[in-house]
Amino acid sequence: KMYEFFNQIPPIFFALIACFFRASLCAEGLVNEDVKRTLDLSSHLAKITAEIQLANHGASRVSGFTLALEAELAPHLAFIGASVKGEEEEDESLELKETTVHGQSGKFFEAQLPSSLAPGAKLRVKVETVFSHMLKPFPTHITQAERQLVVFQGNHYLYSPYPTRSQTTRVRLASKTVESYTKLGNPTKSDETVEYGPFKDVPPFSQDAMKIHYENNTPFITISSVTRTIEVSHWGNIAVEETIDLRHTGAFLKGPFSRYDYQRQSDSGISSVKSFKTILPASAQDVYYRDEIGNISTSHLQVLDDSVEVEIRPRFPLFGGWKTHYIIGYNLPSYEYLYNLGDQYALKIRLVDHVYDDQVIDQLTVKLILPEGARNIHVDTPYPITRSQDELHYTYLDTFGRPVLVATKNNLVEQHIQDVVVHYTFNKILMLQEPLLVVGLFYILFFTVIIYVRLDFSITKDPAAEVRMKVASITEQVLTLVNKRLGLYRHMDEVVNRYKQTRDTGALNSGRKTLEAEHRTLSNDISALQARLKAEGSDLAEKVGEIQKLDNQLKDLVCRSCQEAERLVAGKVKKDAYIDSDKTLSGKRQELVSRIDSLLDAL
Amino acid sequence: KAYLLCLSGGLTQPAGWQSLLSFTILFLAWLAGFSSRLFAVIRFESIIHEFDPWFNYRSTHHLTTNGFYEFLNWFDERAWYPLGRIVGGTVYPGLMMTAGLIHYILNLLHVTVHIRDVCVFLAPVFSGLTAISTFLLTRELWNQGAGLLAACFIAIVPGYISRSVAGSFDNEGIAIFALQFTYYLWVKSVKTGSVFWAIGCCLSYFYMVSAWGGYVFIINLIPLHVFVLLLMQRFSRRLYIAYSTFYIVGLVLSMQIPFVGFQPIRTSEHMAAAGVFALLQAYAFLQYLKDRLTRQEFQTLFFLGVSLAAGGVFLTVIYLTYTGEFLFATFNTKPSLPPMLRYAKIHIPIIASVSEHQPTTWVSFFFDLHILVCTFPAGLWFCIKNINDERVFVALYAISAVYFAGVMVRLMLTLTPVVCMLSAIAFSSVFEHYLGDDMKRENPGSVKQHPFYPVKNISVYSKPIVTMLMLMLLMMFAVHCTWVTSNAYSSPSVVLASYNHDGSRNILDDFREAYYWLRQNTDEHARVMSWWDYGYQIAGMANRTTLVDNNTWNNSHIALVGKAMSSNESAAYEIMKSLDVDYVLIIFGGVIGYSGDDINKFLWMVRIAEGEHPKDIRESDYFTPQGEFRVDKAGSPTLLNCLMYKMSYYRFGEMQLDFRTPPGFDRTRNAEIGNKDIRLKHLEEAFTSEHWLVRIYRVKKQENRQALDHKFRNIAAKQKFTSKKVLPSRFH
Repeated sequence: KMYEFFNQIPPIFFALIACFFRASLCAEGLVNEDVKRTLDLSSHLAKITAEIQLANHGASRVSGFTLALEAELAPHLAFIGASVKGEEEEDESLELKETTVHGQSGKFFEAQLPSSLAPGAKLRVKVETVFSHMLKPFPTHITQAERQLVVFQGNHYLYSPYPTRSQTTRVRLASKTVESYTKLGNPTKSDETVEYGPFKDVPPFSQDAMKIHYENNTPFITISSVTRTIEVSHWGNIAVEETIDLRHTGAFLKGPFSRYDYQRQSDSGISSVKSFKTILPASAQDVYYRDEIGNISTSHLQVLDDSVEVEIRPRFPLFGGWKTHYIIGYNLPSYEYLYNLGDQYALKIRLVDHVYDDQVIDQLTVKLILPEGARNIHVDTPYPITRSQDELHYTYLDTFGRPVLVATKNNLVEQHIQDVVVHYTFNKILMLQEPLLVVGLFYILFFTVIIYVRLDFSITKDPAAEVRMKVASITEQVLTLVNKRLGLYRHMDEVVNRYKQTRDTGALNSGRKTLEAEHRTLSNDISALQARLKAEGSDLAEKVGEIQKLDNQLKDLVCRSCQEAERLVAGKVKKDAYIDSDKTLSGKRQELVSRIDSLLDAL
Repeated sequence: KAYLLCLSGGLTQPAGWQSLLSFTILFLAWLAGFSSRLFAVIRFESIIHEFDPWFNYRSTHHLTTNGFYEFLNWFDERAWYPLGRIVGGTVYPGLMMTAGLIHYILNLLHVTVHIRDVCVFLAPVFSGLTAISTFLLTRELWNQGAGLLAACFIAIVPGYISRSVAGSFDNEGIAIFALQFTYYLWVKSVKTGSVFWAIGCCLSYFYMVSAWGGYVFIINLIPLHVFVLLLMQRFSRRLYIAYSTFYIVGLVLSMQIPFVGFQPIRTSEHMAAAGVFALLQAYAFLQYLKDRLTRQEFQTLFFLGVSLAAGGVFLTVIYLTYTGEFLFATFNTKPSLPPMLRYAKIHIPIIASVSEHQPTTWVSFFFDLHILVCTFPAGLWFCIKNINDERVFVALYAISAVYFAGVMVRLMLTLTPVVCMLSAIAFSSVFEHYLGDDMKRENPGSVKQHPFYPVKNISVYSKPIVTMLMLMLLMMFAVHCTWVTSNAYSSPSVVLASYNHDGSRNILDDFREAYYWLRQNTDEHARVMSWWDYGYQIAGMANRTTLVDNNTWNNSHIALVGKAMSSNESAAYEIMKSLDVDYVLIIFGGVIGYSGDDINKFLWMVRIAEGEHPKDIRESDYFTPQGEFRVDKAGSPTLLNCLMYKMSYYRFGEMQLDFRTPPGFDRTRNAEIGNKDIRLKHLEEAFTSEHWLVRIYRVKKQENRQALDHKFRNIAAKQKFTSKKVLPSRFH
């Protein structure tokens, strides 16, 4: 469906179109054969639909026709749409362009027919208009116990540049209670409807004031401003947040608000608004509803198959003139709204969404936050909308900012809930930017810590600490060397055991030789370290000396066990005797090792 | 070469393991402390709690939106109407600055956090820092193991959690960190005698001064420490350097806070520090002379000097007091030092009316500290038994904090850290003794004699038994802490919750309902009169001008509001007219049985009003002849006709809450109200929240002129006169 709104297109454009069509407009012989008007005043909006049977009584084919609005109604117009009733019950909507008619007041739209109308042919057209703030509360101030009465002022006739043969007007009201209504043509009133007409042969541009004063307790709430922020992330999420200013635009509350009456009497404050339903997309998640001072704890959320319903209950009931302000936000999975072909992306999302039934938005600001690095941005809006200067938005891990498209529009109703399509290109490599940034940051962090810990930044030298550190490092080396030396003995034990089985003297001798050699180098190293410890003036040098002494004994024991084994193999000792001596030797060794260990512990 | 070795294997050395372990434990303590403070956020939401935090939040918000200088110069015309309040000069700005700085840095890094969330989570984050500084301090006092235990204790102990749950955006939340860190740096500087640590201590002290009025505790405890060390003949160069640096630099720094100003050199609370400073100089000077003079000369000089100095000080103090330069008994309404409090309690009802200024009961000691309150004397004993410079400090800290906590519930907070440290020392010693390595102890070569227990006394069986017992105690402590935090300290008090029989929860959001109504549907400059408890909340949530608030600096103004509440309607109307009141807000709990409402606080209003207006308000008028405070028919007629009563019970007499009780049955006081036919002449109900918890009345404007009671004159018309003139069109 295409709807057109004209307040934003440059006037010169209309002027051109008007000039172009003037010839075919005025000269033609179009006539409204039969008009059925319906005025739906049952909510706080005035919805006027007219079903018109157009006939071409002229001589030439007609390619378009003109729709007209009264000058009094025109400023309140929120939406206008026209469609041709097809034969297969399929409505074809028409493109509308604003135009002017010379010498007549009001607002005019030029509708282009899909196929021109031949002379004598007929056509059924449906024109739908929605007006906001047309119903004026009267009296303007009521008490809590009173009911809300409103006045509608309009036209009995269809305002049209063409003569009308026959027309009826049916008015649907919100209640049976009607204070007064204009009595043109003796209308019939039954329950909630008033029917005027039929009026015959009404000349073009006829106006006759219709005035209906009736009771209307439907919620008169208006969104005085809403800011809808849509933040797209290529990581799979679209965050939507709406900041809403709500106002009860019905009759003002006069005098006190009594909670007692409100709780005990069902019809007390009947025109006030306790709660309303907001319908969110079915995939909406993590819905939040809050204001400046925190969560609004009075809401309920219901997940349905095709939508998510939030019962929005403001903190306090809204009486006439009262206002409130809140924020509602939710997340959507991006795969339902974001399409791509290579690096080309298209975001298709509602420009404005449902807040409550029969909603009126006085002022809408949409902010579309695209991912960082989005280029070649192109927007397809379903209806003209004022683009403001693009902004930049910075959030987590952003470096050069995300492009923000800002657009505003006034006076919107439910019919404006339509999709906007934003095309842009985005290099997928840029997706890596954020993780790399985090990795880099951590790298820098750890690197600084490493540098800080490893390097000495002090401006003075602390000799004691330095000595302590040197000693610590030397003891550390001593520890490793001593342990290595103990390892040599264990290795030697293995060599001896193997020798006992294989009786290979050569292996034993070579093992002994390596032991001797390695032991010597290790012992020398330890002695060198001991000397250094002594040089540093540490008392640990003595302990190392003690270890050396113990080690000498230990080594002797190892050599002796080696000799014993040789003697056993050579048959010089009996097995029993060998086992005994081995036991004592290993006992001694154990003791020495544990003493060395305890000394090492003390280092 | 040492560095290379470290690189080759950090974890093969015991030191590497130790530091990794301490790091992990500290991190876990931080995490545990942070998470256990989140009960309120998880149960409710990220919201600022209670009363004072709302003011702090509001000023932080002002700071972040208008910048630092605007904040320092902020004159808040929305408070204390018509006086206003110079906020920049009457707050400790440390809290707001901290939150503002964090917010600024985060936003600089494009971390888009709302200032509210920064404020809500500030105290839990700082509790981690407190744990770390407690660890450092305990490590200096005892050893690393005790430090880790202390960090774990302070992370979860209810005595500290009570002031630092998420949402409790109050000075104490960051001040305890500053306190502990200052003490750590002080101990460090006394130990090392380095100017570096002393300057660090001063900076930390400066932060503390900027954050909380409790800095007076530091500026008295540190001099006391020095003084006691002098008495104990423990004077050293280190002490001299540390204290001289601390006193001079700390003094100058503390005077930079506008709210503190010249107090450090004028008020008696700070004089101990100055005195000890002088004493220390004199002592050091004498030490110097001692080396250079003979004994005889020295003694003469000593007595001469001492008597001269004493006389000089005495005369100066008298002179200064006389000229009014020096204020002997200064106190604001929230004094942090008990002697003044005792004075204030007797003479100023407004201080006595605050529940947190009541003396502490034994139960609350156990409630807030659990097992620690039993074990910390043991830790203290260990410290005294094995005394050194810094253990003198912790002993003094413990003794003074115990005294303060006994005087006032609020000061339990300063006791908590020292109790944690000393208990940690006690536990650590016990564990060191009973959890030691068996192998090593059997090995005679490596046994180190424990200072307190000869090792041979431990039997094989006592080891596991004692260890199990201790562990069980600690486990019970953890359970108790969580339970207390969850049940006692995690209510935002702005949002109430009630539970149904099936366990489902009802949220009573009446406060915010009413405050938000005020915010949205009253004139931006409307003035709201309420009792001072709700002043900060009205300013913070409703953003409207209040007459009195929780910064109870002007007693007479509060008394005037109290007088309006306790007078009859027409007398109150005169007061309200003179104060330009547009709305009156009261809290009424009779419908849901909320006990903290205005009728229950009413006697304090009467008392405070009586203090300033003894001729108009008398407390005895509000009691029955038997001396009871009753709201039913037997109640005193003065009570039944005063403004507070009328506003609380307006139209309540018609309300029947259930079938067992008569209409107008007050659930909080369990009484049928005495005056059911309440008519208001000068006020009208403007808003009442869903559960009647908050009721707001509009003060009617005076009519243009009072209608005169007169009859029309009857004048017999002699002849008809019709004007020929046409009236000017504007009269049509």
